[in-house]
Amino acid sequence: MTDNKLKAIIIDDEKLARDLIRNYLKQFDTIEIIDECENGFEGIKSINKNNPDLVFLDIQMPKLNGFEMLELIEENNNIIFTTAYDQYALKAFDVNAIDYLLKPFSKERFNEAVNKVIGKINNTNDPLTKNSFPELLSTDEKLKRIVVKKNNKIVIISVDKIKYLKAEDDYVDIVTPDGSFLKQNRMKYYEEHLPDPFIRIHRSYIANLNEIKEISLLEKDNHIIILKSGEKLPVSKSGYRKLKEVIK
Amino acid sequence: MKNPPVTNSNSRISIIAIVGIMGISLFLLLYFIFENNLGVSLFDSVITSLLFAIISNSLWYPTNYISLHDHSLLNVVINNLLIAVIATSIWLFVSYFIVTTTFEEYENFFLYTSIWRFTIGLLLFIIAIILNYVIIYYNNFTEKVISESNFNSLIAEAELKSLKYQINPHFLFNALNSISSLTISDPEKAQEMSINLSDFLRKTLAVNDIKMVLLKDEIESINLYLKIEKVRFEKRLQINLDIPEECEGILIPNMILQPLVENAIKHGVYESSENVDINISCEIKENFVEITISNTFDPSSVSNLGEGIGLSNINSRLKLIYKRTNLVSITKSDNIFKVLLLIPKEDLSKEDF
Repeated sequence: MTDNKLKAIIIDDEKLARDLIRNYLKQFDTIEIIDECENGFEGIKSINKNNPDLVFLDIQMPKLNGFEMLELIEENNNIIFTTAYDQYALKAFDVNAIDYLLKPFSKERFNEAVNKVIGKINNTNDPLTKNSFPELLSTDEKLKRIVVKKNNKIVIISVDKIKYLKAEDDYVDIVTPDGSFLKQNRMKYYEEHLPDPFIRIHRSYIANLNEIKEISLLEKDNHIIILKSGEKLPVSKSGYRKLKEVIK
Repeated sequence: MKNPPVTNSNSRISIIAIVGIMGISLFLLLYFIFENNLGVSLFDSVITSLLFAIISNSLWYPTNYISLHDHSLLNVVINNLLIAVIATSIWLFVSYFIVTTTFEEYENFFLYTSIWRFTIGLLLFIIAIILNYVIIYYNNFTEKVISESNFNSLIAEAELKSLKYQINPHFLFNALNSISSLTISDPEKAQEMSINLSDFLRKTLAVNDIKMVLLKDEIESINLYLKIEKVRFEKRLQINLDIPEECEGILIPNMILQPLVENAIKHGVYESSENVDINISCEIKENFVEITISNTFDPSSVSNLGEGIGLSNINSRLKLIYKRTNLVSITKSDNIFKVLLLIPKEDLSKEDF
């Protein structure tokens, strides 16, 4: 009965890497590979269509990387990352990945990862803990782009195109010359991960310094920023201190 | 303290010349103007000038001791005047003793000219002391210049070292993963790829010892690299090499093209799901050899990769090696990224860098 088999998808831009996983999976009778994808766009389509039990996901791929792809998927699938890059391991933990396989990986290491998934599906496995990859390091890499979904289309925003960000309840509104885009995330995250020209000027606003035309005084101790494009953003006291520090 | 000037062969010649001129002038004076007899004139002038040479040379030590650095100017002047007076007195007394014991009848004439001898002797000793200071100053100055230029060349060398090519570990791990996959599906190809990878590693690990290579050799290692990437990316990577035979023998800095080819793959193949063409060509012009590396790229993709470091690195290396700027230029059109390298011709034959 094929219906009882676990459905797996392999997403990797290199054919040989996909072949290897396919070969390693041969020994698992209970797992069936239902699709192979060469990039993130194909991956999103396939995951939404097939709702797989297990996804083998490469990180560095053309156009949309593995993490960006996951941000655009609603369902919580079981992800096993397969990559040559060790610096994303902690981020993998953040997105609740089951395991993180460093290329090239052995059959034993691969089996261990797949068995974790099988165990989790059978409810016998503990959730993943940080100690699972003690050999891996964290990274404070700055964002270069943000992926969002608008009207069922995927948009990749380069961070230097962003004018400002505005908090909207559980979402952040990302404002660019091409319109604004809602993304489910916290302001704190963007405050920490956006590159230098971005400053948290207010509890609800992060502005791109390169877009600022002037800072003007509204009344005593109350400033606003006027952007090149005309919008006015409020500035808090601590935001004004930060601005003064950077601008002088 | 440095050795006195007399130990240096150049200085020794000038000292002999100065003392010689002094002795000859003294002789001419004694013999023709004062009309002494030949023997005594000769003896007096030789002894006087020889003694002067010996004493003035030994003043090198007190001059070094009373250095301008550690003493006030007044202190230096007074001390040296005192030394000059003592030196002059010793010189006059010893020459009087030697000359008059040999030629007793000469004593009156010597005493008669002693004020005159003392004044001129004192003046000459002061000049000798001043000359010593000038020599010390000059020595310190050249020493400083030499150590500074040594320092600068050390900095340049360290800078070059820091700009050296380094293999990208992700390339290595991904290639090994491909080999691991091929050992199951196509063992023969796995063997071929592991040999290509080993050859490439051997070449890149040796780069630290070699500064210039033939373009032919550089292209050979690039070919090894591209063969490996071609196994990974298959038809997504198209390579077109156009290196005419007359270009093969030119010398270029080692591993200067490799990072550019890696950049082309990184921004071309890594970022695009379409096929990417990489072209490498070479042309000999009047003053330069032009090497072009271009790649197609997907203009719609927003890069997530760092950029610029590789290129500015190459620019700095060429600047350090050829001591000139503007050897790297970049053009970016709709979907083609092109890097043009100019290798100056006059340096092509120099193997010594």
